Amino acid sequence: MDRDARGCRVALVADEFVNPCGDGFDALPVLEEAGWGVIQLAPSWYPEEVARSLLEQAAEHAHEFARHGYQLLIIGEREGLDQALARLGLQLARLTPTSAHQLRERLHDGEAAEPSVDCRGPTE
Amino acid sequence: MARVAFVAHCLLNQNAKTAGGAICPGIYSPIVEQLRERGWQIIQMPCPELTFTGLNRFWAVREQYDTLAHRRHCRRIVEAVAGAISAHLERGDEIVVVGVEGSPSMGVSITSSDPSRGGRPVWPEGAPELAPGEGVFVEELRAELRRRGFAHVRTAAVTHALPKHDPERERRALAQVLKGR
Repeated sequence: MDRDARGCRVALVADEFVNPCGDGFDALPVLEEAGWGVIQLAPSWYPEEVARSLLEQAAEHAHEFARHGYQLLIIGEREGLDQALARLGLQLARLTPTSAHQLRERLHDGEAAEPSVDCRGPTE
Repeated sequence: MARVAFVAHCLLNQNAKTAGGAICPGIYSPIVEQLRERGWQIIQMPCPELTFTGLNRFWAVREQYDTLAHRRHCRRIVEAVAGAISAHLERGDEIVVVGVEGSPSMGVSITSSDPSRGGRPVWPEGAPELAPGEGVFVEELRAELRRRGFAHVRTAAVTHALPKHDPERERRALAQVLKGR
């Protein structure tokens, strides 16, 4: 395996934290600063069939990362996600932060488990 | 009406890259910042390679992904992405698709090509695999959008995987596509 800059941390993030409006807040700067990658979840207004298929994809992505020991976390709520994950045998920790500050603190506190392997690959 | 950019998965999640390809821990911020500055929302597309050949996949060229099975896999994802684009267009939203130049799947005008690549994964450093053309996923997506009557959807791509990557040039090129030029 070639070593690279990946953080081995992936958050499944509800759309309102990626495209915030109203009372929502923008999670991307916090996640970037903390070294997390994002799997964005389908917006809640999407047609059911489209959303179901995209959530299946999100779950398959998460399964592949879990298989390799990456740290995974759900941020926010998305109807249908838990079922899609459960079909693949996955149950992940979830944060429901109310502010960017709270998200930053919880990520810093390590509420999600650390990656179980050094997925960046061997050093030179 | 909103402006919505459908971006390649790895632009928000560098963990999905082939080993050795991640240039930052997670989010490729230049694109996110540029889209946000200009008032574009972001929708992330799935990564067809991650869910087909997995995290331990080898670096590959377009020919290795140009199989019936991989195209079926891409079409399954494309069906959902095109459905999402369709839902946005029905609301009157403006859409841009942002790929990754040099990618065998997500290349928009530059992909990677080597008809003879195969077997034990050893090849000369700097092998000239970049070639004009689309990646397999982008090709399938464009075909589905044409089939649905959405051929007008614009495309752009980041260039961070290219040897001659120039961040300012990448930024200007994306800005032009976002403006509709």
